[in-house]
Amino acid sequence: MSAVSLKNVFKSYDATPVIHGVDLDIRDGEFIVFVGPSGCGKSTLMRMVAGLEDITAGEILIDGQVVNDLPPRDRDIAMVFQDYALYPNKTVFENMAFGLRLRKTPADRIKECVHSAAETLQISHLLERLPKALSGGQRQRVAMGRAIVRQPKVFLFDEPLSNLDALLRNQVRAEIKKLHHRLKGTTIYVTHDQVEAMTLADRIVVLRAGVIVQVGTPDEIYHQPRHRFVAGFTGSPPMNFVDAGVVAGDGRPMLNLDGTHYLPLPDALLPAIQDRLGTEVDFGIRPENLHLADSATPADWPKLSLQVELIEPMGAENLVHFALGQHAIVGRFGNAVRPAPGTQIEVAIEPEKMHLFDKASGATLNSF
Amino acid sequence: MRTAKTSFSRRLLLLHLPMALIVLFAIGPYLWMLITSLKQESTLFSAHRSLLPEVVTIENYVRLFAKTDFLKNLGHSFIVASGAVVLGLSVSITAAYSFSRYRFAGRHLLMLTFLLINMFPVVLLIIPLFIIMRHLQLLDTHLGLILAHSTFAIPFATWMMISYFNAVPRSLDEAAQVDGCRPFGAMLRVVLPVTLPGIIATGIYIFITSWNEYLYASVLAGQDVRVLTVAIQTLIGEYEIAWGLLTGGGVVGALPVTVLFMFIQRRLIAGMTQGAVKG
Repeated sequence: MSAVSLKNVFKSYDATPVIHGVDLDIRDGEFIVFVGPSGCGKSTLMRMVAGLEDITAGEILIDGQVVNDLPPRDRDIAMVFQDYALYPNKTVFENMAFGLRLRKTPADRIKECVHSAAETLQISHLLERLPKALSGGQRQRVAMGRAIVRQPKVFLFDEPLSNLDALLRNQVRAEIKKLHHRLKGTTIYVTHDQVEAMTLADRIVVLRAGVIVQVGTPDEIYHQPRHRFVAGFTGSPPMNFVDAGVVAGDGRPMLNLDGTHYLPLPDALLPAIQDRLGTEVDFGIRPENLHLADSATPADWPKLSLQVELIEPMGAENLVHFALGQHAIVGRFGNAVRPAPGTQIEVAIEPEKMHLFDKASGATLNSF
Repeated sequence: MRTAKTSFSRRLLLLHLPMALIVLFAIGPYLWMLITSLKQESTLFSAHRSLLPEVVTIENYVRLFAKTDFLKNLGHSFIVASGAVVLGLSVSITAAYSFSRYRFAGRHLLMLTFLLINMFPVVLLIIPLFIIMRHLQLLDTHLGLILAHSTFAIPFATWMMISYFNAVPRSLDEAAQVDGCRPFGAMLRVVLPVTLPGIIATGIYIFITSWNEYLYASVLAGQDVRVLTVAIQTLIGEYEIAWGLLTGGGVVGALPVTVLFMFIQRRLIAGMTQGAVKG
C-alpha cells in the first residue's frame, strides 16, 4: 500500500486552475522531491497533502485513508516550513514538545522523545534557548526536531534550505539525507533547486504549470528526460539545445544544426526520425557529453568544428562556450583543456547521449 | 572645530529650541494645573500671587477626597474603562484575527466599514445611542457606558490588532495546526502569546480613550454612574469655580492615563505603522 496517494487532484483559486489532475503514488519510506520553477504548484501540492489547502477535486490518501476533509491535526503528518515557523515565545524544548503535549502524551514520555530527537540532531545543548538566540542552521535543526519528535506517518519539507547560506545548505542537505536513512520515514520535499532534488530524492517529481512532467529516479530524470523541460531543468549547466532540421543525408537521415552543421545520427535514434524528414526537432546534448576530438576518439562519434567563445574556469573543470550558428553551447572539460577564445576546435559527441525532442510538444523522441 | 561649533548652534536653533517650545506648549497646561493644585486656595486670587507656590500644600487633594465623591467617581471610571477594555479586546482580537487570516466575501467592505465608523464624529451617534440605551434600560449604568464607549473603541482597536496579526507569519498558525491545534487553538496558544505586547498596547489604548471620554459619560450617564470627567466638570459652578479642587481632580484623573501612555507609546506607534514599509 502507498503511504501517500494523489488521485486526479485538482486545485483552483476562484476561477484560476493551478493544479491540473495530478496522479502520484508515494511508497512507504520513500523520499520524494517535488521540483519545478516558481509558480509550478509544488508547494500548493504539498500544502494540499498537509491539509493546509483544500482540494478542488480528486482524492488524497494517507496510509490508505482518504484525508480530503481531515484537518491537518488529524492527518498524522509533520511539516518543516521554509521560514521554520518556530514558536518565538517557547524554548526549543517547548517547541519540540508542543505537538506531543497537544496529543496528551505523558510528561516523562515527552521528555524522553524530545531528548532523543535532540540527541539525533545534536541540539541537546540548545533545549533551554529561545529561537531568537539560535543561528539559522540551529533553527533549521530545531524545526526538523519538532517534526521527527512525533514520529508521524509523513514528513513534509517546504524548501527548508532556502534561507541558509550555500555552505550550510550543503551541510544540512547531507544531514537530512542521513536522517532519512536512519528514520526511513515517508518524506515529501519541495524545492526549486535541482541539485537538492538530485542529491536527496529516491524519486523526483518534476512539475510545470500544475502538471507532473516526469516522475523518476534522479538517474532517470537526468539521463532519460522525457521532456525538453525536464532536460533543461536538470544539470548545471543544463542541457544544450539546438534547433535541428531532419534532412536526408547520404543514404540515412541526418540533423542539420542551425542550418550550419550536419550531424549524423546513431542507429538508436533513426527510428524516431525516420518519418520526420523535412521537419524541425530540438537536438539536446549535456555539457559533459561533448569531448575534444583526438586520435583516441571512437571513429563512429560524430564531430563538429566549433568556434570557442569563452572559457569559465571552475577549478576542477573548465566550461567552454562555443558558438554554433545562433546558438551558444557549453562543454564541460577537464582542467587541462584551455583553448584560446576565437580558435576553431573539433568537438566529438557521445552518440548514445544525444537527445531529440519534438519541436511542438517538447516530448522526447528517444526510446529509453 | 569651527564646523562642529556651527553645527551645534544650528542644531540648537533649528532642532532643540523648537522642540523645547513644543514640549513646553504641550506640557505647560498640565504643569500649571499641578502647580495650582499645590497652592493654598486663598492665595490663588490674592494680590501677591506668584507662579510658584510660596507654601506647598496638599490641602486641595485632602479636600477632594474627603469632601467630594471623587474616590467613587474614580471607581466608576475604572469599572467603565476596564469593561470597555474587556469587551473591546474580546471583539477586536477575534475580528482582527479573522480579517488578518481568512479571505471571505465582504472582507474588504467590512474593514472599510470599521474605518468609516472610526471617522464618524461621536456626537452624531449620541442621539441614536441615547434612544437605544433608553429602550434597553441601560441609561446611567456601567454596562450602557461600556457599550457606548465600545462603539468607537472597537473599530480603531480592530485596525490596530490587524496590523499586529499581519506581522505574525501565517506559517506559525499553520505549524500549530499541523502540530495538533484547531484554528481557534492556534490563535489562542500560538498567535496571541506572540502578539501579547500589541494586545496590551491596544487594551491600554481602549482604557485611555474610555477614561478620558466626556460626551457619552455626561449624556448617557451622570447621576448614579458619574465618572471622573463628568465629576470634574461639576466642580465648575455657575457663580464660582473651585480651582483648587478642579486642578487637584485634573491631576489625579490624568495620572493613570499618563502612566499607561508612557508604557505603550512606542508600541502604539509601531502598531500604527506596522506593514507600512518592508521590514
